[in-house]
Amino acid sequence: MSNLPGTHWQEPDGLHIDVRGLEPPEPMVAILGHLERPGQAGPVTVHHDRNPIYLFPELAERGWTYQKVPGEAGEIRLILRCPS
Amino acid sequence: MSMGGSFLGGAKDRLLPVSIPFRFFLTATGFHVLAWVVLLLGAQDLPEFSGGTGPILAAIHLLTLGVLALTGMGASYQLLPVVTRQPLARTWPARLSFWLMVPGIGVLAYGMAATDPMTLSVGAGLVSIGLVVFALLTADNLRRAGSIAVVAAHGWGALAALVGVVGIALALIGNINAGYLGDPAGLALVHMILASFGFMGLLVLGLSMVLIPMFVLSYGLPQPPGWAQLGLVVLALVLFSAGVLGDIPLLGIAAMIPATGAGFAHFLLMRVAFKTSMRKRLGLSFLMIRSSWAYLGLCLILGLAILLGAPIANAPALFGLILLGGWLLTFLTGILQRIMPFLASMHGSGRAGLPLLLSDLTAEGPLRVHAVCHHLALLLCGLGIVLNWTILVQAGAVTGTIGALAFAGFAANVLIKLKAPTR
Repeated sequence: MSNLPGTHWQEPDGLHIDVRGLEPPEPMVAILGHLERPGQAGPVTVHHDRNPIYLFPELAERGWTYQKVPGEAGEIRLILRCPS
Repeated sequence: MSMGGSFLGGAKDRLLPVSIPFRFFLTATGFHVLAWVVLLLGAQDLPEFSGGTGPILAAIHLLTLGVLALTGMGASYQLLPVVTRQPLARTWPARLSFWLMVPGIGVLAYGMAATDPMTLSVGAGLVSIGLVVFALLTADNLRRAGSIAVVAAHGWGALAALVGVVGIALALIGNINAGYLGDPAGLALVHMILASFGFMGLLVLGLSMVLIPMFVLSYGLPQPPGWAQLGLVVLALVLFSAGVLGDIPLLGIAAMIPATGAGFAHFLLMRVAFKTSMRKRLGLSFLMIRSSWAYLGLCLILGLAILLGAPIANAPALFGLILLGGWLLTFLTGILQRIMPFLASMHGSGRAGLPLLLSDLTAEGPLRVHAVCHHLALLLCGLGIVLNWTILVQAGAVTGTIGALAFAGFAANVLIKLKAPTR
């Protein structure tokens, strides 16, 4: 899966993924797709437009943790980290 | 802000209380066992069954209402708000629908088994009101739908079919008392087809467009085949019902053309999901889900053969077994074994406040026992029907009961893990 849905870019604090406007399950697919790329150890910032409740079990299964941080109006912003 | 747990706390505000979907799913696993036991009690009647009250009709409704409808209701309450991006307006009607359905199904099944019109009427009344509450709550959510119109349209189709199913059911029950329908066989056939392909079928086909990509981690599915799937199912149901009720056999045969087309559209959609899947190991649940599609294909072939007059022994019972036990039950047990650990993980709390791990919540042993017993039970019952051997049907029902008990064990394990204190 080379072309993941949504947009992504690199910043000094790590990879950013914007999945706003995507229909389920594409946000989850985009986020997990980026996390599973070789060498990806985070942190990864996710820009979402809703609480991705179905993402959390998948993150936990992969050993990633998540933190909510302030974002733009109407945005749910998460920072994902892989402790290992 | 702490990792994980605090944010999940916020997310939980948008989740239904876990007790709502779980009460539907756990009760469905109980009715699953009961349906096989009642089938065992009436095994001698199964091969030549083509309608009428008795234990077989009771077993069928324990399966269709107790397992399939309760699972569909629980899944709809949980998942439709995700699809529509709108929370349920209220949660108490969901609880009310459960408390109407569960005693209603028990009373209805007893009335059917004992051929007791009064009991049957009371049970049917409770179930009908429960289904109406479900339909109203779901319609309100669909009305406010904000995304994935094709899935919402499947929901509307399922609700329209449900209205027809309930209406025909009440007419059939009234007929037991008053006899105003003459021979109700045609109407009973339309009731079964509308319930299985219309109500449950459209729920399954519609929710599959979200659930399957979510579970296999694939791209969103293309919408045009989804619209084609919906249109073809509706056309097939209209043609078939008109053919049966108008006594025009050619219309029934013609209905198989859109029905087959709908099947192809569904298989095409599911193929797209698997081709773009990111998940390397899909596990036992997808073995069940894939085999359910094989049963659906077999069901369509058998349906066409029956309509064309092929000499198949005890064809109505065989068709019902493959349709209800093969396609729908196999699919829903496959989905349940994915969705129950998923929900428990979202609601439960494990190490360091993180969600419970899916792998810790899934007891593979009972699921393997269930999978083997389920398919073996269908094979034995199918052979028993074709060969008219009661002993084979009995063996199948015992095997099915063991499988259903194993599945109930899996569900109980999820509940125990969910209720266990945080480590």
